[in-house]
Amino acid sequence: MLFNSLEFLIFLPIIFAIYWLANKRSLQLQNGLLLVGSYCFYAFWDWRFLFLLMFSTGLDYFTGVKMYESENNNNKKFWFWLSIIINLGFLGIFKYYNFFVESFSAALSDLGFRTNFWGLQVILPVGISFYTFHGLSYVIDIYKNRIIPEKNIITYSLFVSYFPLLVAGPIERATHLLPQIKKQRKFNHSLAIQGVKQIIWGLFKKVVIADNCAFFVNQLFKNTDGYSAPELWMGMVFFAFEIYGDFSGYSDIALGTSKLFGIELLRNFNFPYFAKDIADFWRRWHISLSSWFRDYLYIPLGGSQGGKGMRVRNTFIIFLVSGFWHGANWTFIVWGSIHALLFLPLLISDKNRSSLGNTNYSMKDIPKILFTFLCVCLAWVFFRADNLIEAIHYITGMFSSEHPSLHFFYKNAKYGLLTVLCLISILFLIVVEWNNVKKSNYEIQLPKAIVFILLFMICFMGAYKNQLSFIYFQF
Amino acid sequence: MKQFLLKIAGYGLVSFLILNGIAFLCLYFLGNSNFYKPQFVKNGVFEKEFDYVVLGSSTGLTTLDTKLMDSITGKKGLNISMDDSALSSHYLMLRHFYALNRKTKCLVLAITPWDMAVTNPTLNVNDYRFLPYVNEEYVYEYYKSLEQTSFKVLTLSRYVPIIGMTYYNTELFYPSLLAALHPEKRNRFDDAGNYSYPNFGKPKKSENKIMELELKNPYYKKIKQLCIDHKIQLILYQSPIFKTSVVTVDNQYQKIINHSQLFQESIMFYDNLHVNDKGRKICSEKFADELGKECYVNIRSNANKYNGYSK
Repeated sequence: MLFNSLEFLIFLPIIFAIYWLANKRSLQLQNGLLLVGSYCFYAFWDWRFLFLLMFSTGLDYFTGVKMYESENNNNKKFWFWLSIIINLGFLGIFKYYNFFVESFSAALSDLGFRTNFWGLQVILPVGISFYTFHGLSYVIDIYKNRIIPEKNIITYSLFVSYFPLLVAGPIERATHLLPQIKKQRKFNHSLAIQGVKQIIWGLFKKVVIADNCAFFVNQLFKNTDGYSAPELWMGMVFFAFEIYGDFSGYSDIALGTSKLFGIELLRNFNFPYFAKDIADFWRRWHISLSSWFRDYLYIPLGGSQGGKGMRVRNTFIIFLVSGFWHGANWTFIVWGSIHALLFLPLLISDKNRSSLGNTNYSMKDIPKILFTFLCVCLAWVFFRADNLIEAIHYITGMFSSEHPSLHFFYKNAKYGLLTVLCLISILFLIVVEWNNVKKSNYEIQLPKAIVFILLFMICFMGAYKNQLSFIYFQF
Repeated sequence: MKQFLLKIAGYGLVSFLILNGIAFLCLYFLGNSNFYKPQFVKNGVFEKEFDYVVLGSSTGLTTLDTKLMDSITGKKGLNISMDDSALSSHYLMLRHFYALNRKTKCLVLAITPWDMAVTNPTLNVNDYRFLPYVNEEYVYEYYKSLEQTSFKVLTLSRYVPIIGMTYYNTELFYPSLLAALHPEKRNRFDDAGNYSYPNFGKPKKSENKIMELELKNPYYKKIKQLCIDHKIQLILYQSPIFKTSVVTVDNQYQKIINHSQLFQESIMFYDNLHVNDKGRKICSEKFADELGKECYVNIRSNANKYNGYSK
């Protein structure tokens, strides 16, 4: 069930009404209904994977309790590693098995050995990377004695399967979400209004910006040949806005939807394209994942405590793992490596925290913002391309001097119109976000007039005929 | 909670009414323009009676030049073909044509073998162009019967126009703005409904092949019946297809003019399915000769002889 689908438009008011009616009776009923609704939401994709989700939930619940009850450290370790191995095992089989076997097979072939590729014909369960990381953070927090396990299975299941965040995050923490689930929610008028506005803002980003940009991006990345350098540059910029519109649009709808139920989720984006350097970008992009890696990987590896060598090593590990988390493809690993390399000069010169907490913008920040955006865009080429050869081919084409033109974007009336729609909507996004950035707003604030303009744009500028799924669902 | 629901309902209702008002106005402007073929047939054609009309998809639109044929035969023709359409759309167009009190003595139906072989017709890509007339029963019934999705966008637009206007925004909303400013503007066809592809196209290399024309599409029977009801002589027309010969397997077609093998030189084609301007001229001249023999002569001498069902 996509957030921008008719099914969700029906599902949401129903679950909303039932949820708040149940509110008067008991918290357990309220949570139970929300859990059933979440499972229905998930089953809409493929009900068979619901059992995997339930198993993963049960495993983490059970091992969490067992760890807490363990009287000695060995027992605790056993239950901890059992949970880690099984969770990562599922993720490995469904997401990475074919990649490893294929890469290993290719390496052996290069050495002259004949191999039979033992690939698995499996579908990637939607949201597996997200709910696995939910579970892992919970188990690790118990192991580290940061939290005590949740005794109520319904409460814990809802923490893992809460439908707004189930398939594409944000990746929540037990310390943040569980207390909200355990507390009786009271309807908060201003929070709900903010939620509705955020849903509309997210829909605009998805159906107007992302899906219109995708029309061009998909063609340019499908076959780079025959396109001029300016066309490829523009395609790269369009992809930057496509992925941002798609993923942050999803996050906005998720956060907005959750607010309707009185639950505030972790913020996932903070106007990332206004970042002044790469370190700043990563404090603003997919925040819940970045902070997850920081807390559960970077810090345990030693973090910034050691010398520069250790910090460089840890940073590279974080970016490589982050790239790999996105998908089993070398393109994602290279994408992560590029970000690590871009991060390196800041780390060595101790400037990686120079933008931290600095919310004031001046004219001299504009070149920094543009340079950071350019670096991020170039890295996106690897993220978007199907394989490394195509990514390199695309980048090479961007520096070709043959027949420079932008003809592709206006080759007929439809293309010309869609290009104008993309540019207008991107400009609108930049203006609205810039106003919010300048005011140091924590979340997007939308006046009524802007909300109506957004509704108008969603209706008359959105792409609906070839409805596209959210990009991050594949991760 | 009550305050929230009232607020959402209030703003929702106001937005709904305003957006539907905009959609209604857009459909009104578009419906009174010449932009797409259905609008052109309604607003851009001043004659009521024609000797012949050409009805089909892009092959009908770009192969037969009615202006050239009229200059040869001295008759009055009109091209009401619409690109990216199929027999079901042709049927709707013919009903639209008659609903507007237009008349023709002869209908030239440009067909394709794959369209004739369809057994379960569905909605076609450009059927949204009839949306400004969704209040007409024949358009509404057509949408209702052919829309197979659970959410019937075009059918529901009769009551909530914003649905269709949103779904087909690039195809309807922006043209309607243009139509409001320039109602006479036509979308890629001339004042007789013709369009031609330029001479710089090129068909892809392919092997010679033979295709059989099979009569399966239920809308063919509907068109045929409509011709009988209105006493129209029905002539089927098969345009040239690159390296392809179209053959009929039985004699169930009362009259077919088959140009599939008229020429095979690639310089006559824009792509494998469509002729270019050069090819169009040859086809139109050749067709004009046949039209004079088959349509015009017979209409004058014995109007009831070719009434659509006689073999």
